[in-house]
Amino acid sequence: MQPTHTRLDDPAKTDSQTLLDVKDLKTHFFTDEGVVKAVDGVNLSLKRGETLCVVGESGCGKSVTARSILRIVPNPGQIVSGEINFQQRDGEAIDLARMNPKGREIRKIRGGEISMIFQEPMSSLSPVHTIGSQIMEAILLHLPVSRQEARKRAVSMLDLVGIPRPSEQLDAYSFELSGGMRQRAMIAIALACEPQLLIADEPTTALDVTTQANILDLIRDLQQDSGMAVLFITHDLGVVAEIADEVVVMYLGRDVESGDVDAIFHDAKHPYTRALLQSIPRYDSRENRRLYSIKGTVPHPFARPHGCPFHPRCDDFIAERCNSIDPPRHKLSQSHSVRCLLYSAADEAPPKEDALS
Amino acid sequence: MNSESEVMPGDSSIEPLLEVRNLHMQFPIRRGAFRRTVGFVKAVNDVSFHIRQGETLSLVGESGCGKTTTGRCIVRVYEPTSGQILYKAEEQERIDLAELDNRDLRPFRREIRMIFQDPFSSLNPRLSILQIVGESLKVNRVASGSELEDRVASLLRRVGLRPEYIRRYPHAFSGGERQRIGIARALALNPRLIVADEAVSALDVSVQAQILNLLQDLQEELNLTYLFIAHDLSVVEHISHRVAVMYVGKIVELATTEDLFTNPLHPYTEALLSAVPKPDPRLRHKGVRIRLEGEVADPSNPPSGCYFHPRCPYAEDRCLHEEPAVREIENDRWVACHFAEELDLRGFEAIG
Ligand SMILES: Nc1ncnc2c1ncn2[C@@H]1O[C@H](COP(=O)(O)OP(=O)(O)OP(=O)(O)O)[C@@H](O)[C@H]1O
Ligand SMILES: Nc1ncnc2c1ncn2[C@@H]1O[C@H](COP(=O)(O)OP(=O)(O)OP(=O)(O)O)[C@@H](O)[C@H]1O
Ligand code: SF4
Ligand SMILES: [Mg+2]
Ligand SMILES: [Mg+2]
Repeated sequence: MQPTHTRLDDPAKTDSQTLLDVKDLKTHFFTDEGVVKAVDGVNLSLKRGETLCVVGESGCGKSVTARSILRIVPNPGQIVSGEINFQQRDGEAIDLARMNPKGREIRKIRGGEISMIFQEPMSSLSPVHTIGSQIMEAILLHLPVSRQEARKRAVSMLDLVGIPRPSEQLDAYSFELSGGMRQRAMIAIALACEPQLLIADEPTTALDVTTQANILDLIRDLQQDSGMAVLFITHDLGVVAEIADEVVVMYLGRDVESGDVDAIFHDAKHPYTRALLQSIPRYDSRENRRLYSIKGTVPHPFARPHGCPFHPRCDDFIAERCNSIDPPRHKLSQSHSVRCLLYSAADEAPPKEDALS
Repeated sequence: MNSESEVMPGDSSIEPLLEVRNLHMQFPIRRGAFRRTVGFVKAVNDVSFHIRQGETLSLVGESGCGKTTTGRCIVRVYEPTSGQILYKAEEQERIDLAELDNRDLRPFRREIRMIFQDPFSSLNPRLSILQIVGESLKVNRVASGSELEDRVASLLRRVGLRPEYIRRYPHAFSGGERQRIGIARALALNPRLIVADEAVSALDVSVQAQILNLLQDLQEELNLTYLFIAHDLSVVEHISHRVAVMYVGKIVELATTEDLFTNPLHPYTEALLSAVPKPDPRLRHKGVRIRLEGEVADPSNPPSGCYFHPRCPYAEDRCLHEEPAVREIENDRWVACHFAEELDLRGFEAIG
């Protein structure tokens, strides 16, 4: 990797290697009881061929971020601000946040240029169509092939993801498959059209470690062959350590730390990131039967804390500051940045993020 | 409390809470326009094990090897093709759940609960969280009205969800939030046995730690028993007393957690332990992962001899022809491999 460009320095320019650049994205749910700010200022960027892992607390907005990119946020959710810049195959850059979510343009991108493996396979596979017809439909929609070729391709995809008897399983319904087989069927659908960007939301949670290793190898091979970029959402920090080039750590709807995988695992700065790493169950932790977990719980959905969103649960909390100042993004190095007041000097305090370097 | 709680869960002198004997479950394979039956999937193929009260037994194994099906037979979502599921209810003789019809099963459905693998499809989209979690409390007349609401709110708090969410519907939750709704529902009626099918797979490690601590606290307080189905071997290592490894519908190894992780006896267990990703990017491409090459086994048409032989690095001629029986090698240590005594297999390497 050669970090020759950094997005933070020249926000105006996205270099040709950057495939996806999400800036200050906010997606809110306008419910009857109040506004849920599920995503409230997320930044991430992804180069061609690269793997970016997104980690963070359950409910912190990872899936909503992913759905925002594809413009499939369900009602009453809405993108309220921010940019989602995407480099199309033909070289043209577009801001997905500004597209009509029902328009023809975005439908061409969905499944063709960007495809997604959803977190819960059962809710995204159709119960009334066979697995085969669902893969073939995806192929026929995006690739110029005949039905027969599509069928052949569907069989070979099922085979690639390690489903036994692929040509027979083409006729199976999703309820006839085990949890991990459904997940692999989803993966086959997502990969069938050779997307430029694969968004994988917890794609291997239902897989045993040996099958998981094979799937990760498969994705890596496709990346090497076609330059596909991968946005990988996962809770499994072992998987992150294995596949990530870059990592974004989210907490309560925003990125709190981002950097290359070594920086995140060996030089984590944000108190949330550190606490998260400390919660990993270690081998031999049985001696000490209680696992470490971060104190407190997520705040009330309609009442985000003032200042740093993590301050009510933070051990390093600085009184007066952390509960009043919204931490700006602070760059620690070319490839490592953090949003935490421990790392910005007193006189450096906000209000303008861009002022920092 | 009965005297059983005084004894260590690993103690083999206690009568098991649950004993599964020679369990079989087959599904017909239907294909073509007329959905004709063209064969059978032997999803669970002669499985036997027991769980003592207050114990956690984990079930691990390759995707599609029959873990969920085993769990669903025990909670009697499925009617097993054959075999016994002997359950020891309090102050009662053991009873075979496999033989009971729906009406006779009713009292046991309160005591034996399942946390389902796919949280979304197991939550009724038209019911609020209050209704979903409170349903069993209401049906069994344990609580109603504002007391019911309080109970549900406190359950939600214990699994790390805000009680303010009580009137929301399942679709408005994240994956991990839905999973915790399923956990709260299973815990509502003070069950005795919980079949937890991938119950913490959608949680970040901190919330997961909170839930695992909760399950262990409940086990200590109430002598709860768990059948814990999971792919995450560090979680399994942490929470279980004993572990059973399945491969294509059969148990291939069963041992205490420590024995299994430090000194596996079956080649499939060794392969599994070697493939656990380590949470340290510097160890990438280091270590020695055993890649399982070759055909993924098919439960409708399993290989001859030892089902694992086409992918086993140690297979010999005998493995092709002769199916290894599940043998008790040491006290309460079971394995199905012809060469279990001779092979010197690697355990899970300690990290950092
Ligand atoms: N339709 C909705 N109405 C209101 N709130 C919603 C809705 N959908 C999602 N949310 C909320 O938005 C937040 C972010 O959800 P999201 O699914 O993105 O979380 P996540 O980071 O993917 O979590 P997990 O790891 O548990 O899957 C959650 O707190 C969730 O409750
Ligand atoms: N209702 C069904 N009809 C037909 N076949 C089924 C059905 N349920 C499960 N099977 C088959 O039985 C086998 C075992 O499935 P099961 O769901 O028990 O696996 P599992 O071990 O839980 O796998 P995973 O880890 O992927 O969840 C699979 O081959 C599956 O295709
Ligand atoms: S019986 Fe043979 S094939 Fe089966 S696990 Fe043992 S050595 Fe491998
Ligand atoms: Mg999610
Ligand atoms: Mg399963």
